[in-house]
Amino acid sequence: MNVRLATLVRWAVLALILAIVFVPMYWIVVTSFKTGRQILLSQNVYAPEPFTIENYLYLFEESRFALWFRNSAITATASTLLSLLIGTAGAYALTRLRFPGRRTLGAVVLVTYLVPPGLMFIPLYQTFIKIGYTDSLGTLILAYPTFLVPFVTWLLMGFFRSIPRQLEEAALVDGATRVQALVHVVLPLAAPGLLAAGLFCFTLSWNEFLYALIFIADDSLKTLPVGLSEFVVSDFAFWGQLMAAAALASLPVIVVYIYLHKYMVQGLTAGAVKG
Amino acid sequence: MLTDRHREQLLGYTMIAPVAIFLAALVAYPFLSAIYLSLTEKIVGYPAHFVGLRNYANLLDSGRFRIVAWNSAVFTVASIAVKLVIGMAMALALHQVVRGNQFIRGILLLPWIIPTVVIALTWKWLLDLFRGLVNVTLIDVGVVKSGVHWLGDPSLAMLSVVMANIWRGFPFFGVSFLAALQTVPQELYDAADVDGAGSWQKFWRITLPSIKSVVAVVTLLSTIVTLNDFNIVFIMTRGGPGAATHIFATYSYELGIMSQRWGVAMAASMASLPLVALLIVGVVRYLHREEE
Repeated sequence: MNVRLATLVRWAVLALILAIVFVPMYWIVVTSFKTGRQILLSQNVYAPEPFTIENYLYLFEESRFALWFRNSAITATASTLLSLLIGTAGAYALTRLRFPGRRTLGAVVLVTYLVPPGLMFIPLYQTFIKIGYTDSLGTLILAYPTFLVPFVTWLLMGFFRSIPRQLEEAALVDGATRVQALVHVVLPLAAPGLLAAGLFCFTLSWNEFLYALIFIADDSLKTLPVGLSEFVVSDFAFWGQLMAAAALASLPVIVVYIYLHKYMVQGLTAGAVKG
Repeated sequence: MLTDRHREQLLGYTMIAPVAIFLAALVAYPFLSAIYLSLTEKIVGYPAHFVGLRNYANLLDSGRFRIVAWNSAVFTVASIAVKLVIGMAMALALHQVVRGNQFIRGILLLPWIIPTVVIALTWKWLLDLFRGLVNVTLIDVGVVKSGVHWLGDPSLAMLSVVMANIWRGFPFFGVSFLAALQTVPQELYDAADVDGAGSWQKFWRITLPSIKSVVAVVTLLSTIVTLNDFNIVFIMTRGGPGAATHIFATYSYELGIMSQRWGVAMAASMASLPLVALLIVGVVRYLHREEE
């Protein structure tokens, strides 16, 4: 195959893939700016005419969107901070400190990271029922770290390994304690890793649906994905409002992702992120 | 007086303790009690009693469970096969692009970032019988006369949930493969050029062998997750029409949450465990090999 033909094929493939990715996102945005009438009668299918923001106004004036948004923000932030705190300490211990059982614990962390929520949701729900702690944002804040803590630990173990031991040993020789060396030497060097881990955790929590659907019954405690999934109003042209909600629900993670994506490939190659 | 060695061990245990306690309480304990519960008959409001393997035997005997197992296999194999092909095409096409590589990759990863619920709802709306973009366009272009029952026809419903799942998942494959491609030394290709190898030969003899461990890990990880997927099917079809798209997790949901039959629900939750366990062992082995 000559070079020019190869280039042509390459760009044709890329154009096709970009189109496949583009169409559903285009459909979200286009629908969100249509009037109920245009949607109902299938008028102006490809572009809104007239263009309206009534669907977005509806979300804030007549639906519980703002409340769901708040619940998601609280849950995602709290479970992220909790997981970072626990996971960072764990990752440091597993990479830098020698104690019997260390290797076994490292393997356990990896295995728990790989157990899928689709297999765990009923067992976990049973446990929360048994301890009498369902139907609270706290339930989710405790449930999400079941997959976030192994993830953070695994990701940060890779980052800690890449920091030269000598830097830490120099601090120890200078009279610092282990904990001081961790706080003043290792953590600042691992900052990009901590940031990436935190942003990943936030995204995973923000998008989580299954646990939030099962563990929360109180309507005022629902998170965004659950709220969206139950977004059926009597008016049967509700797709406009729903797509507006879909666009707004995706916005925070897209913003996070703009900061995240330079770390992403690093995380991917470490084998730390799963699809 | 503690020696340095003891002090290090003590600090190690102290720092790993929160992880260990947390995972013991909210992963290991639920998991083990689920195995126990799957051996009991438990209906909400009544005490549980031990029934041995009866729940599993009932599952294997039930026609519905067999359909669910078959559907899960179809959903997983079809999704992953196509994701491998599109992901590889994406990686190979993007690998040679120098300018705009980062930007295009950024756009292509968006489906992997946005909430799965949003994706499932969007695909449901794209495939809407009367007003969805797909049917409207197919009618406009003249491919079909009336709308296709994407989510109403049993075989098309499976195709629909697989399409949505592929859309969500292929960018992860593509970006992982791309990262792996970038580690393959250019000298290998230069040497192959000297020997007069064609593109196809270079792909099979150099590219694929060099990135095969990444391909294996990504495939294994994705199989574990896809086999136990819930969101896309639950939102697009609720397992329907009939049980045409019912898969393991939506079935556990039906038994546990809808019918409150905990014993059987636990057994259904554990049904894919032997396979998942094998896949997990595979991933762990690959990742440990890379560490060394």
